[in-house]
Amino acid sequence: MLFPQLLDKLITETTSLSLPGFSVELCLSATIVAMLMMRLVNLDRLVPASVTAVLGAFAALVFTWLQFRQIGAADAIVSQKIFTGLLIHDTFTVFFRAFLSLFLLLTIALTSLTGIPDNEDGPDFYSLLFGATIGLMIMASANSLLMLFVGVEMASVPSYAMVGFLKGRKPSSEAALKFVVYGAGAAGVMLYGISLIAGVLGTADMSLLADRLGAAAAGGSGGLSDPELRAVSLGILLVMVGLAFKLSLVPFHFWCPDAFEGASAEVAGFLSVASKAGAFGLLVRFALALSGAPGTESLMIAFGVGIGFIACVTTTFGNLAAYSQTNLKRLLAYSTIAHAGYMVMAVSALLVMSNSVNAAAMQVDINHSVEGLLYYLFVYLFMNLGAFAVVAIARNHTFSEEVDSFKGLVSQSPTLCIVMLICMFSLVGMPPFGGFVGKLMIFASAFKAGDVHWFMYVVVAFGALNTVFSLVYYIRVLKTMFMDVRPVDARPVPVHLGSLESIYVVALAAFVFLLGVLPQFLSATAGAAAQSLAKF
Amino acid sequence: MTADLNSYLFVGAVLFVCGVVCMATKRNGIGVLMGVELVLNGANVNFVAFSRYTDLGLDGQIFSLFVIVLAAAEAAVALAIALNFYNNHLTIDVDRANKLKG
Repeated sequence: MLFPQLLDKLITETTSLSLPGFSVELCLSATIVAMLMMRLVNLDRLVPASVTAVLGAFAALVFTWLQFRQIGAADAIVSQKIFTGLLIHDTFTVFFRAFLSLFLLLTIALTSLTGIPDNEDGPDFYSLLFGATIGLMIMASANSLLMLFVGVEMASVPSYAMVGFLKGRKPSSEAALKFVVYGAGAAGVMLYGISLIAGVLGTADMSLLADRLGAAAAGGSGGLSDPELRAVSLGILLVMVGLAFKLSLVPFHFWCPDAFEGASAEVAGFLSVASKAGAFGLLVRFALALSGAPGTESLMIAFGVGIGFIACVTTTFGNLAAYSQTNLKRLLAYSTIAHAGYMVMAVSALLVMSNSVNAAAMQVDINHSVEGLLYYLFVYLFMNLGAFAVVAIARNHTFSEEVDSFKGLVSQSPTLCIVMLICMFSLVGMPPFGGFVGKLMIFASAFKAGDVHWFMYVVVAFGALNTVFSLVYYIRVLKTMFMDVRPVDARPVPVHLGSLESIYVVALAAFVFLLGVLPQFLSATAGAAAQSLAKF
Repeated sequence: MTADLNSYLFVGAVLFVCGVVCMATKRNGIGVLMGVELVLNGANVNFVAFSRYTDLGLDGQIFSLFVIVLAAAEAAVALAIALNFYNNHLTIDVDRANKLKG
């Protein structure tokens, strides 16, 4: 093909296919530019940055809705590579775009209610928030190892800055330093892993990885004695280090409690929900890209079981370490670690089942594991954001995030306490709240994977046991809020039922409840997203 | 004497290990960040070598260009955070970042 023809093809493909598929990210980018330009001409004094940000996030949500309609049409192509195969545009991608834009909208609403950042810092803060969200969307839609790394970096670098956003506060600067040092190290290690995978398999395209892996295995014994497979396995292990850091899995969780304690509760909520969600999207894509190569089944099942083992350790550690915490944000950080463990169980089940001998017959169960993960993520959005929102709102009155400052809060603002109760019961996984349905779906798929490898039964047992463990420390917080007497010298928290703050948290709690009693709507969408990843 | 792929990979691996050791042992925050740069450049050597000797082709060189840009962005943010830490603590020793624990 001649150069002009090639250029023509590239231009038509970009304008007709890639850019419409990328419209949500473009919309967010345009909002960033708009916010920064408005400050340049002093327009931000008339229209605060938070308003521009809300409009931008809402527009992004509208664009994802349009994409949903387009991809949900009867004759639509559910999976399309865009930008010459660097990204992939399918229902799974659109699901994550919807998730992240919704979360962005809710976070901006929370920050404008609680007043962090102030008007002066607004454009900076929201630019970082939007930039990180675009990075997370790229992570969830990556189809190339290059985009995998670019996405992770784009999501991480603004997060470092957001953790250190409370200038002049010692804990905040310390948290940011720890986060950036660990984060940069993990990213470097991950990049070295990527170089090994891409180099040995001779491609950066993730949709080709399984085939190349199969070809590499065909020449040798298929086990770790084959030098090529050994190099690739090392590469996968190093990439997993980077992803485990993003997901705060043990033993790469050190940054998580410190970053959460030092950052404001709003930023901690972002790190706890959005950042995890993007990393899970990427992990699912990466795991599926390597699955199904003939000759490497036992190796990949071993990886799946290894991830399952990490999941057990992570949940147990997170739940046990949460017992002794006195700072509520730190306690929620350990709860985040534990929940990342529960969700990784779904990925482990996914890996084990997609590499079993009758993977084609198990396709329905494979889809269910992804569906469970997506459902849990969505419930997790509402219940965890609800918990962090209550912390942020109470902090604005008491200037403290210690568990003790919540003593007897029910006498002053019952709404906040009841929302916290709903969120925490859902985090434990009690019916009729959403957390129960999500956990049930994940445990069911892990149990199903037990047919392939017995260790998955152990994983389910650990999951169930940990659900009981976790009850104790959540109940301790609730007991402090509901049973203790509020000290006379404690600062009052007058949040009435009609105030905007109350309406916001009640709406979040209502969604947690709705997802628990009416699971069919979301699970159908999540199922469609999982279906678009199916190989058979 | 012409070098083959393995010699380049060896250089890359040495850089990677030096970087990891540097990250693990340096107590100075800037020193740790220098270790990170070594790790990234170790990976870059790999990418360029793979692009010369394997099917990876130009993808490898594009990779290393992206990594150089991203490393610069990351270093800018990391140094800003290190400066912020220095302003609050009057030191850059990462061992002194010990107020948050538990």
